[in-house]
Amino acid sequence: MSDEREFEPRIIYFLCSWCGSGGSETAAAHHLHYPENVMPSRVNCTGALPAVHIVRPLIEGADGVVISGCHPGDCHYNDGNFRARRRVALVKSLLDTLGLEPERVWFRYVAHGEGQRFVDTATEFNDHIKKLGPNPLKTRRDT
Amino acid sequence: MPEGLKVNGGTEETLRELLRSLLESGRVSGVLALGRTGDAEQSVACSLFTDPDAFGADGTACPLLPFMPANAGGVLSRLTLKGPLTEPIAAVVKPCEMRAFIELVKLNQCSLDNILLISSTCGGVYPLDTGVNGGLKKKLPGYWEAVKQGELDDDIRPTCLACTHFVPENADITVALLGEADLDVQCTLYLNTEKGAALVDGLEGLEGTPLSGELESEPIQRSHGQRKAFREELFAGVEVGLEGLIRTFGRCIGCHACKTMCPVCYCHLCYFDSSDCERSPEFYEGELARKGGLRVPPNTVFFQLGRLSHMSISCVGCGMCTDVCPADIPLSTLFSKVGASVQALFDYQPGKDVTEEIPLRTFDEEELVQVAT
Amino acid sequence: MNDKGAILPAEDGVEAALVGWLKETLNKKIFDALLIPVEVPAGDSFAYLLLKDPAILDDASPLPPVMPVQGGKAISRLTMRGSGSKRVAAVVRPCEARAAIELTKLKQAHLDNLWLITMDCPGVLPLSDYLEDPAAGATCFAEASLEGDRGPMRPNCQVCNRFSILQAPASDLHIGTLESADGTVLIVPGSPKGERVLEDMDMPLDAALDGWAKRVGEIEKAQTEQRRRAHAELREETAGPDRLLDVFSSCINCHNCQRVCPVCYCRQCYFESAALKLPPENYLTRAERKGALRFSPDTLLFHIGRATHMILSCVACGACEDACPMDIPVGQVFSLLADRAQETLGYVAGESLEDPLPLVAYEMDELHQVEQPYVEIYCKQEVQDA
Repeated sequence: MSDEREFEPRIIYFLCSWCGSGGSETAAAHHLHYPENVMPSRVNCTGALPAVHIVRPLIEGADGVVISGCHPGDCHYNDGNFRARRRVALVKSLLDTLGLEPERVWFRYVAHGEGQRFVDTATEFNDHIKKLGPNPLKTRRDT
Repeated sequence: MPEGLKVNGGTEETLRELLRSLLESGRVSGVLALGRTGDAEQSVACSLFTDPDAFGADGTACPLLPFMPANAGGVLSRLTLKGPLTEPIAAVVKPCEMRAFIELVKLNQCSLDNILLISSTCGGVYPLDTGVNGGLKKKLPGYWEAVKQGELDDDIRPTCLACTHFVPENADITVALLGEADLDVQCTLYLNTEKGAALVDGLEGLEGTPLSGELESEPIQRSHGQRKAFREELFAGVEVGLEGLIRTFGRCIGCHACKTMCPVCYCHLCYFDSSDCERSPEFYEGELARKGGLRVPPNTVFFQLGRLSHMSISCVGCGMCTDVCPADIPLSTLFSKVGASVQALFDYQPGKDVTEEIPLRTFDEEELVQVAT
Repeated sequence: MNDKGAILPAEDGVEAALVGWLKETLNKKIFDALLIPVEVPAGDSFAYLLLKDPAILDDASPLPPVMPVQGGKAISRLTMRGSGSKRVAAVVRPCEARAAIELTKLKQAHLDNLWLITMDCPGVLPLSDYLEDPAAGATCFAEASLEGDRGPMRPNCQVCNRFSILQAPASDLHIGTLESADGTVLIVPGSPKGERVLEDMDMPLDAALDGWAKRVGEIEKAQTEQRRRAHAELREETAGPDRLLDVFSSCINCHNCQRVCPVCYCRQCYFESAALKLPPENYLTRAERKGALRFSPDTLLFHIGRATHMILSCVACGACEDACPMDIPVGQVFSLLADRAQETLGYVAGESLEDPLPLVAYEMDELHQVEQPYVEIYCKQEVQDA
């Protein structure tokens, strides 16, 4: 228990510029708080997030990566979120086959008005990563 | 005559202690040296160490291992490609690696600022294959025995056997290895520069007696002679002429690994990977009409000649190219030979003097009259 | 694929028959040129030659013991800028044809004026084994092929189940060499383009394929099982940070695997681009955080990252492993990753030009298992525990 309190996960939260970021702004408007160690990183569309950029933070120091964009059908660019879903499936498949904890990657839709959902995702993922513990890759000297 | 330091204690142990102390005292922020990355013999890589314990007895660092998974000069240049270091680091490099680094400084690919170069009188490295085939560990005792006598093990890289630049010229500190009979109980360090001397001055755990000795001892001079003779023999055996080149490069698979691992080949996008070398259907049809047949992908020998024309002036003869070739082509012998002749044309020694401009980047109005007719 | 094939007499052996047949196609101007492996002058390897002179075929080998250059890559270099006006037939192994198909979808090759001719493939020898003694290698290969023994072949060939046309119909013409009884081989058309060639060569499609197809099916089944087992074992040996980093502990960042990979086509690889060339402060910070930083850095990132880029088009040929100077089983690892990733996205690399690339296509209703469900308002753990 005490280890969990000491370990503060480093989490990258990729948000699309439309619904994802909108969700975070709605949360702000409602004065909802999310853990400070969750670092939002804005991308234009989740479909524009290259798969390699989900893997790169996990090798170099992040304990977890969350990706949130528009719900299916609501993507500002029509189908970016569908492509993102495929890329996440690809990355999870690779991580799973390599035994590198695909559960450190979450993909959840957050709409513009879903402030609570955004905050819940950040908080829930933070707790989830705390339980998983630090990412073993980040202290490796041989990566 | 360089000042030096004779320290009691085996050379390897003393060097490790020196590096450990440098890190612990904060005199340097990092040390670039070889380190083990796994249990297998060939699992060795250059590493930028910041943890002093890496150089302790159980640490993973192995700075003097006669093995070169990558030319550390090229690796070191990556560190300062985007800008100079603002904190000092020490780099343990072999003479050819240092020469490559100096060439790259001249080519504006890196910076010498805040880098302390530690090198040694080099007894050569084993081919990568030796590690891959599980023979490296067995060879080490014999290797060091030979080095103590000022001799070389026949099984090291051919370019090492033929290397006449094994005494480092630009190091801040030179660790004497070749011809040092008491390598196991004594460590002789030559402090060639003020920077080098300052680095170890008063360093904890490094007490030694100062010495004024000649680096170019008798065993080293003898080694020079032996290597020069082998070099001539090696170069004489290279198959040249068009037929010779076609025979040699017949089994080239065009992977360009030689270029990737060459420390001096620094282009971010090699000419031979650029769109310039992507041929149109008309090209292929033209060649077909002219010759009846054409190798695909084309440019096999052209790539080698092109690379020679681009970098042979700076070739330091490290031998990475041969080691990494999947088709076992003895590239480094050819490249060293051509490099040597091009360098002789300009009386140029790559990596010797950082202030000396690379000959292809400068000219003299009165020179090379014989070239123009 | 047709249910009937054409018969090619092969009294003097399959290679001789094929070479003879190919010469005829050139003489009859069915094809203007061939792309086929030819022995190099020193006799120690084979290289793809684009040729129109039938005499050169005397040194050609449709099924050489080694694959120094992946045929898909050769086809791509030839047709990258367009098809040209000449009809070219490329004599390649099934995995090379599949790579060519992937490359066409990736717009790196054009197959309009190119015919893919494949044959039942016994595998290839690892290049380094062959180069030790090419003559012995050739003999070993010939014997092993005859006996159907994949033991001496590349590790990826040993577990290959796409060595023929039944599971992965990728070519215009396929030479059925397995079960070629009574001194003949079957030529099976895989497309209308292929059918026309047989028509023009006056070769009627009157041979039944049952015997051959049955034999191929049996071997494919056995190979599939072997592949499944090998992959399960490999996963055990390589999964998790410790074992995975051990596998890549001797990697020297030569990027040979990427260079020889037929599907890796980028002129400048992302992992050699400015994106991964960082100021010294970055490297020092990372080195300080970990205590040491392997240099050149980003070794693991290169391999996993390369997988994110190309694994869905990986045909598991094993060219990467052949080219690795440190004997890392990268081809085996990638073939495991490829099978699983392609299965997840319901795709098989190189099977058909009609299958859209999986990262471009999508369904509205799929892959829900990667979506993180959200059921109710989440209470922070601390609040829950309180």
